[in-house]
Amino acid sequence: MTSPGNPGAPAVRLSCPICGSPMNRHAEKIDTRLASESAGDDALGGVLCEILTCPTCRYVVERRVAELGS
Amino acid sequence: MSAPSPAGPPRGAKPLLIPVILGTVRPGRASENVARFVTAHFAAMPGVETRLVDIRDLPTTFAGEGEDVKMAEFAEVCMIADAFVLVVPEYNHGYPGTLKHVLDTNLKEYIHKPVGICGVSAGPWGGTRVVENLLPVMRELGLVTIFWDGNFSNVHKLFDADGRILEPAYTRRIDKFAKELVWMARVLRHGRESVPMEG
Repeated sequence: MTSPGNPGAPAVRLSCPICGSPMNRHAEKIDTRLASESAGDDALGGVLCEILTCPTCRYVVERRVAELGS
Repeated sequence: MSAPSPAGPPRGAKPLLIPVILGTVRPGRASENVARFVTAHFAAMPGVETRLVDIRDLPTTFAGEGEDVKMAEFAEVCMIADAFVLVVPEYNHGYPGTLKHVLDTNLKEYIHKPVGICGVSAGPWGGTRVVENLLPVMRELGLVTIFWDGNFSNVHKLFDADGRILEPAYTRRIDKFAKELVWMARVLRHGRESVPMEG
């Protein structure tokens, strides 16, 4: 996995908010409920969100892709 | 991941949690016997933990929809689950609206997890039509369907008064269904936890 803003550079892995383990990003999904927001992607018809799972405690995080690296 | 043993789960692997969701709230529902039968089968499998989730017992509200009416305990079970079994009666060729309302309260909790569907019918088709109707719903929820189904036909004649199944062939059939679901659960758990999506 590489950082979208810097191809080739290793991405910063999100830490699980519950147990602190590095989470794995394994899915993306368009949230069409947020289509009218300025952060929406016109081409995709909504806001692109990503899904991450914690391999230790199985906690799942969904967040906007725009938040990557935050 | 450690090497798999011939007869069971990989050594040292966390047990799979596979809840069985009983998808009807109707009084006198015959699907309850099916759900108990299926739950008992999964409970006897090595490396698998299960529990029966009866949607009749959930604190469902109809004052909203989707994740706006998320139920904390149900969401928690779905979050830590590795796979799901739905036991669903066929009502006028469709699925119970209450089940759809309940399933819609979660989303991220389902993504990239497998689901197996057991259709239940009073007639001879074993809920095949409700299974087919549910497939696009499962996909939109982010679930991954398996290619075995459970089909319980003539359900009012299928169990004795104590809820014991009368047709032994169902045990072998549900074992095939269960093994497919367990395999998918192991593979997709590995993917969710360890295989990053590129790009």
